[in-house]
Amino acid sequence: MKYLRLIWRNVFRKKTRTFLTTFSIVLVLVLIVVLVSLLNAMEQDPSGGKGSNRIVVQHATGLGNFLALSQRQRIEQIPGVVAASPEIWFGGVYKDDRPENFFGQLSCDPDIYFSKIFDDSTIDPAVEKEFRANRNSFVAGKKLEEKFHWKHGDHIILRGTYIPMTLDLVYAGSYHSGDEGNIFFSNEVLNQGKWFGADKYTGLYYTKVARREDIPRVVAAIDRMFENSDRPTKTLTEKQFQLQFMEMMGNVKGLIRIISAIILFAVTLIVANTVAMSARERVTEIAVMRTLGFRRSHILSFILSESVLMSLLGGVLGVVLAKYLFIPGMVKGMQTTPMAPFLINFKVTWVVLMAAFGVSVGVGILAGFVPAIRSSQVKIVDGLRQVV
Amino acid sequence: MAIPLKYNLRNLFQRRVSTVMTVFVVCLVVTVFLFVLALWQGVSRTLSVTASTRNVITMRVGSQAEMQSVVTKDAYETIRSLPGIERSPTGEPYVSAELISLVNLPRADGQTTNVQVRGMDPIGFSMRPGVRIVDGRIFAPGTNEAVVSKNLANRFAGMKIGDTIKTGSYRWVVVGHFDASGSAYESEIWTDVKDLQGQTKRQIFSSIFVRASDPEAANRYIETVKGDQRLKLEGRTEKKYYEEQMITGAPIKVLAILVGIFTAIGASFGAMNTMYAQVAARTREIGTLRAIGFSRRSVLASFILEALLLCLIGGVIGTALAFVLFNLLLTKPTGTMNFRTFSEVLFNFRLTPPLIAGGLVFSLAMGLLGGFFPAARAARLKIINALREI
Repeated sequence: MKYLRLIWRNVFRKKTRTFLTTFSIVLVLVLIVVLVSLLNAMEQDPSGGKGSNRIVVQHATGLGNFLALSQRQRIEQIPGVVAASPEIWFGGVYKDDRPENFFGQLSCDPDIYFSKIFDDSTIDPAVEKEFRANRNSFVAGKKLEEKFHWKHGDHIILRGTYIPMTLDLVYAGSYHSGDEGNIFFSNEVLNQGKWFGADKYTGLYYTKVARREDIPRVVAAIDRMFENSDRPTKTLTEKQFQLQFMEMMGNVKGLIRIISAIILFAVTLIVANTVAMSARERVTEIAVMRTLGFRRSHILSFILSESVLMSLLGGVLGVVLAKYLFIPGMVKGMQTTPMAPFLINFKVTWVVLMAAFGVSVGVGILAGFVPAIRSSQVKIVDGLRQVV
Repeated sequence: MAIPLKYNLRNLFQRRVSTVMTVFVVCLVVTVFLFVLALWQGVSRTLSVTASTRNVITMRVGSQAEMQSVVTKDAYETIRSLPGIERSPTGEPYVSAELISLVNLPRADGQTTNVQVRGMDPIGFSMRPGVRIVDGRIFAPGTNEAVVSKNLANRFAGMKIGDTIKTGSYRWVVVGHFDASGSAYESEIWTDVKDLQGQTKRQIFSSIFVRASDPEAANRYIETVKGDQRLKLEGRTEKKYYEEQMITGAPIKVLAILVGIFTAIGASFGAMNTMYAQVAARTREIGTLRAIGFSRRSVLASFILEALLLCLIGGVIGTALAFVLFNLLLTKPTGTMNFRTFSEVLFNFRLTPPLIAGGLVFSLAMGLLGGFFPAARAARLKIINALREI
């Protein structure tokens, strides 16, 4: 500890160099925090990571085929099932075709949806009451409301793509949950629109099971019940259901991991190079210190500490700047890019930030190691002889 | 007069370790940048290749993808008699009624994803000139047989010839593998339309695929369909239809730009560090150069050139690395979700000449950014001070 001042002085001996190195660490950290948070946002767990007792019943061949509305009653009769809400992915066009105006448009049964199935999300009772009473109203995730500046009473028009009807919905209010990228409206709306399938079909059943330990039994019971019917089912837990979308994205996850690893390696090289350069310039100085009685291990820890200190600085700055400057700015800036749909559930958690900080310390240790060993191995005579 | 380039080259060799490190950093950054761009390029190419301006996809008004569309049998009959449609050598109009069904199937890696099953009239096969059978034979109507693309068969479990694809109550026997010249059709399973209607218990079609005698006639056909109030359909050329799906690749492009900017600035800071160190170490040299008559401008140019050279070496190696990576290691197609069709689209990484040029320009930009400020410092040195330096 008593050498901290010496190390500090050495780190700031060349201010430009330290600034440049620290800043490249900052940039890389910000980038990695963004990439990892983007991955997290794509996984959008509606229960916000807490897990839930929800299961999703879909057609055995996947989401491309409808289930029958008549199946609802039979699902709800299974012991352990609290309620099942038929849900249709409307997939309409809001404003225009551009990806930044894309969001999930889902139908549901407003009477049970927030009270029985999504009871872990928060919704203002007044909003829910209106949502139940006015069958042309819709509710939206808080983040989505902020993005589109919807206010109570606003109308939105959704032009159907595979369901040939245009929806005119009135905004009731917002809800909070782990996934705030969707709007919900009543199944009644589809009925009023005279869509031929409105009284026959639904996309899936979002179903709540009373106790978690009942889930495997209920899942098996549902699938067995419809196994030989016209519309066989495949029932998934909510987590598996979300995972399904991640799997469809293909190798995106692996790709982002590889990119993160490579750029971390690159920044380690940058730091290592800086530390090596500054150590090389001080060969004579180091030799003098050795003649004064500092041991090899002292020199080693000095150089290593310089590297770690620089990375610590980069880490702290990176985390703070990422959280308060870069990421809010970037999210705002990308609101009008094709990236926008992924940004709705985008949030930078402290877990990710702390991990990034830990990584930066790791970079410092790795980067300082080789230069530290090399300068501690220099013979005093050679060091004194060298003229730089 | 300019300082000879040899001076810079020798200097780069003189400080081997730091040169190699900087080169390596630039090389990695360029490789990552090209990697993401090649991904985007791959998706775009898949959706644009072999799409014709003579083939027209007719769907319900407002539908963005075939899967979303519904076309009745009556509409199909009406379309068959419209003018401007090319006829086959046997005199049959080139009109194929098609039905799309989306099924969730396991990939070879165990994860599942959505795949489009396309039911078509047998004539539909010959309307897609980029497609040919490479193994086995084409499906026979009335037997629930299917052909899949060779790439799909490699990526998914249980799609070898003779295998049965099972999902829910649907069954298809694979009788052939086809090659679709890298187009989006490589991501599909093809079967007979009536068989698919039977299995899915649907009486309708998703789209009517029509080949006009020339692009001009295709446009006239599109106008006719649009003008016919009874049909409530709209036509899009195959080319336009797939171009609209390129939205899928857009987030990847944004990702490439994001990663590119951040890593490039980081790497150029690294280069800037080495160049500053060089200016400091060579102060006396710079003084000498100035003393023997080289102008400030020559010194500036020389140091910028050195930085450019440093990064260009990295750029060349990085591009070569990406080239080797894509041509030797990542030759198997990969896939991602097509947001329009909600199914997986298969593609190969593609490193096109513009991308290669882009990678090199990218590395030069890093060199310019990294070299300018140190070079400016070198150029500003006073001769007298520089020579006094030990």
